[in-house]
Amino acid sequence: MSIVDIPRAKPPRSGRRLRYRLRVAAVAAALTLMCALAGTVAARVYHGQLLVLLVAGAALGAFAIGFALRNRPAFLAPSASLLGLAGYLLAAIVLTDDGTDPLPATVVDALVNAVPRTLTALIPVEPAPDTVVVPVFLTWLAATLACEFAIRYGRTLLGCLPPTLLYAAGLYLVGPNADGGTLYAVAFCVLAAAALAVTAAPPERRPDSDAVVDGPAPSKAPALMGAVVTTCVLLAAVALLGPAAARLVTSSPGDPREYVQPPQLTDIDLNPLVRIAEWSKFPEQELFEADTSGDSWMRLAVLTEYDGTTWQAAGDFRTAGTVIPGSGDADFTADVEIIGLGGKLVPAAADPATVTGLPIAVNLDSRCLLTPDGLATGSSYHVESALATTDPAAAETARPNLTDAATVAVPPGTPEIMATIADYVRTTYDTPFERAQGLADFLGGHYAYNPEAPSGHDLPALGFFLGSPVDAGGQRGTSEHFAAAYAIIARLVGLPSRVVVGFEVPGGSSTVTAGQGSAWPEIDFEGVGWVRFDPMPAPDAVPVPPEDTLEQMEEETPSPEEDSGGGGEAEDFNDEALEQDGDFNEEAGAEDAGIPVWAWYAAGALLLACVPLVLKARRALRRRRRLTRGGPADRVAGAWAEVLAAAARAGVKVEGSANAEEAAARLAPLKGDIGSLPRLVNAAAFAPHAVAEEDARTAAAIATEYPGTIRQQVKRWKRFLT
Amino acid sequence: MHDTEQTHPLRVPKRMQQPVQLGAAQAESFAAAFERLAAAVDTVVLGKPEVVRLALTAMFAEGHILLEDVPGTGKTTMARAIAAAVSGQWRRIQFTPDLLPSDVSGVTIFNQASGAFEFHPGPVFANIVIADEINRASPKTQSALLEVMEEGRVTVDGRPHQVPQPFLVVATQNPVEMDGTYRLPEAQLDRFLVKLSVGYPVEAAEIEVLRGTHQRSPEQLAPVVDTDTVAQMAEMAKHVYIAEPLYAYLVKLANATRSHPQVAVGVSPRGLIALTRAASVFALSQGRGYIIPEDVKALAGPVFAHRIQLAPDAAMRGATGVQVVADAFDQVQVPLPTPAA
Repeated sequence: MSIVDIPRAKPPRSGRRLRYRLRVAAVAAALTLMCALAGTVAARVYHGQLLVLLVAGAALGAFAIGFALRNRPAFLAPSASLLGLAGYLLAAIVLTDDGTDPLPATVVDALVNAVPRTLTALIPVEPAPDTVVVPVFLTWLAATLACEFAIRYGRTLLGCLPPTLLYAAGLYLVGPNADGGTLYAVAFCVLAAAALAVTAAPPERRPDSDAVVDGPAPSKAPALMGAVVTTCVLLAAVALLGPAAARLVTSSPGDPREYVQPPQLTDIDLNPLVRIAEWSKFPEQELFEADTSGDSWMRLAVLTEYDGTTWQAAGDFRTAGTVIPGSGDADFTADVEIIGLGGKLVPAAADPATVTGLPIAVNLDSRCLLTPDGLATGSSYHVESALATTDPAAAETARPNLTDAATVAVPPGTPEIMATIADYVRTTYDTPFERAQGLADFLGGHYAYNPEAPSGHDLPALGFFLGSPVDAGGQRGTSEHFAAAYAIIARLVGLPSRVVVGFEVPGGSSTVTAGQGSAWPEIDFEGVGWVRFDPMPAPDAVPVPPEDTLEQMEEETPSPEEDSGGGGEAEDFNDEALEQDGDFNEEAGAEDAGIPVWAWYAAGALLLACVPLVLKARRALRRRRRLTRGGPADRVAGAWAEVLAAAARAGVKVEGSANAEEAAARLAPLKGDIGSLPRLVNAAAFAPHAVAEEDARTAAAIATEYPGTIRQQVKRWKRFLT
Repeated sequence: MHDTEQTHPLRVPKRMQQPVQLGAAQAESFAAAFERLAAAVDTVVLGKPEVVRLALTAMFAEGHILLEDVPGTGKTTMARAIAAAVSGQWRRIQFTPDLLPSDVSGVTIFNQASGAFEFHPGPVFANIVIADEINRASPKTQSALLEVMEEGRVTVDGRPHQVPQPFLVVATQNPVEMDGTYRLPEAQLDRFLVKLSVGYPVEAAEIEVLRGTHQRSPEQLAPVVDTDTVAQMAEMAKHVYIAEPLYAYLVKLANATRSHPQVAVGVSPRGLIALTRAASVFALSQGRGYIIPEDVKALAGPVFAHRIQLAPDAAMRGATGVQVVADAFDQVQVPLPTPAA
């Protein structure tokens, strides 16, 4: 046997090779999963599971190519990966293509318009060629880079960067349109931690000199225990401080779709109430053919905002795919073919879930539909809706939903007759539902329908409709007047209201005419939703003059003095005093009864204050272990480690290529006395049998005194923290 | 078989089985003898204690010394002083272009009186051979030294003749005057354990040289040790303890020279063995029975540098073997204690 056989430990070498392969495989698996997971984050806003499969396949494919070529020349893997990406993208496009256009045109269109369409497509995004290209491309790119960094160059931490950026891009794409994805974040962090853990450098190869030299083969148990305790402390801190920290953040993530110019409405679509008068005059006009699965009210527009002149819809329309986000299971279908209905608004029963046959934009506030190119004769589409069902019994006992200020806003200058009617309703009926129904009954019983009534729903026109004598043309109007007046008076009463324009469509196949078009008011009840009310008079009803009813009400109304002590006054469901007396806010009160925020801050501060103590205790335990455990040579080595650690804290780090004498020369500027320690550590390392107990005691004494002698060289914050 | 292993230079693994070989007293006695010898040589070669100790280290490591420097710096004087300090046979060969191999190794002539061929040993048959200006001889004559330097014997007319032990070749050469000289081939350079440069003395030493020129001739030097003692000390050096991590450290150093970008041919396994032997002697000369990285670093330059063949472009840019060795030390981690150690 000769000296050249010294690295003769073949079994250890093969063992190292096996461990290396296991580590590389573990890192590859973790990073692949991280890339797939990061791509899946974006897939949460896509319809179905197709994109999940696509991004997972992209991550797997890119990593497989990079992994297989990890030992080949550096240019080969990116080149092969590029080819693989092209093939995979083509496959993804073919898989999601509906076949309406030739494949080359679809591919070009998808590649050119992928980014804007991905960022602006309405959620849930329909997996289509132009919406899957970006996530697939980014996932493939991230996986390729991660593989190159982590597998080829052995930089695991750097390899985690591309999946992390991909994760961030996914979060940006999702915006506020999905929940926080806590499980995704936890899984992502666990995978990253696993990848880093399996490639963690052994202590002697870590960059901090404190770990370069250590005591005698310490047991793994304390280190394991320390890791477990640290993890528990971290989890406890997260559990304690997380909720408080979450409460401090009140803003929602930015949504890239907010920056997209919404489809513009024409005048006729901005305020479709004006179309009621025309429809009333020409009730025989055929608007569209409808084949529905049942009786329904197909909405054209929902108008929430009133400025005293016009009713308008709130919110913007955004481009959608065939699937409308936020809908339940569709239980109503309608096939519509346009005949004479103009404009861009698309009639559909609430709540639309899917629309095929037309390019669609949706108003996420009102969930009404619009087609950007406008309706034309012959246009046809198929719409499936989840019909809104309300429980009448629940509505009768529900409170009004006052969370949206726009639905209770009343412009200044309302006619006096509206306030009078509102007072009548408020004093006559007790519960919100009764008031809403009472108002509808009042209008239906005191006013008449007249299809010839001139259009107009500004406040003067409504005042004329409600208050002018019959002889002067007042007290009669179309559904435009009834719905608009109802909605404003309801707001005066304290009920959130809106006006809906649409059509009453019978089940089966029929032609919908202008006479079926109307406007109706809706009231929003908490826990129930929007409930439709009909203020229109019965066809054969003879209206009672409203003055009679209102004058009688004024006579019966008690004086303010009587009112203050009277017990017959109806409860004011919108009185703020009542809101705070505990009847309506039990849940809110329960939330406030938790641990105060300052306690969370105090707990966090206490945890932070404990960090220096923990570090100092750890140092003390390590010093004790190094200087007291093992044989004399082990303790001398531990003393050397302590000296180097102290020097590192003072800013002097010793390279691993320095021998003991050179290390001592490096430490000389610190003016600490290490005496014979270099000689002793050489003996301990290269002739352990030559180290005596006395040598170990000498080394321990040097190591104990050394930190004190160089204490002034250590920066204050280090002295405080470590 | 056992004897073969005992005399074979690649004996380190044998010692690995016997970690404790020398006591502190033995190491100190070695250091004392070494110091006496070095002090004697120092009286003649003033101001060069490091070079003297490196040369003596090579002698006790059973290696050969190549002294290279400009004329007049004391190369021959140091070689003669070492020879004089050891009470053995020593010869000096002045190498010239017309020197023949038989002038070095000896010749067989016919004795008319006895009627038989008799071998007349050449000057190489001595304990210490001073090969002065070795690069002035022809390659044929230079190669005559190869066998005797490596194997300690001379073969003439097919008959081997052992040279006396201990056997040390101290060669000198002048790197400046290259006209009419023959550069030593790499194979022969590799057979010198160390290559030393004496260099100019410091000012104080040079003044002292001038002051005492006639009193410090090598011929006036009394022998300090005899050849038997030298042989015993060389044998003792073979029992120096080498810790396991140091073997890996040495191999990593050699690998670092081999993979150095400026190097065409790095240190050979023979160079690595030479460094181990030299470091063993160096450790003993410090009174230690075990090697430490400082020993390795102190001797790596003299042992490794002349064995490293630089790439042509690196040589033209002025790179040297010493720089390569320094780079290797910067790259390799010293096996100081670790948690796994």
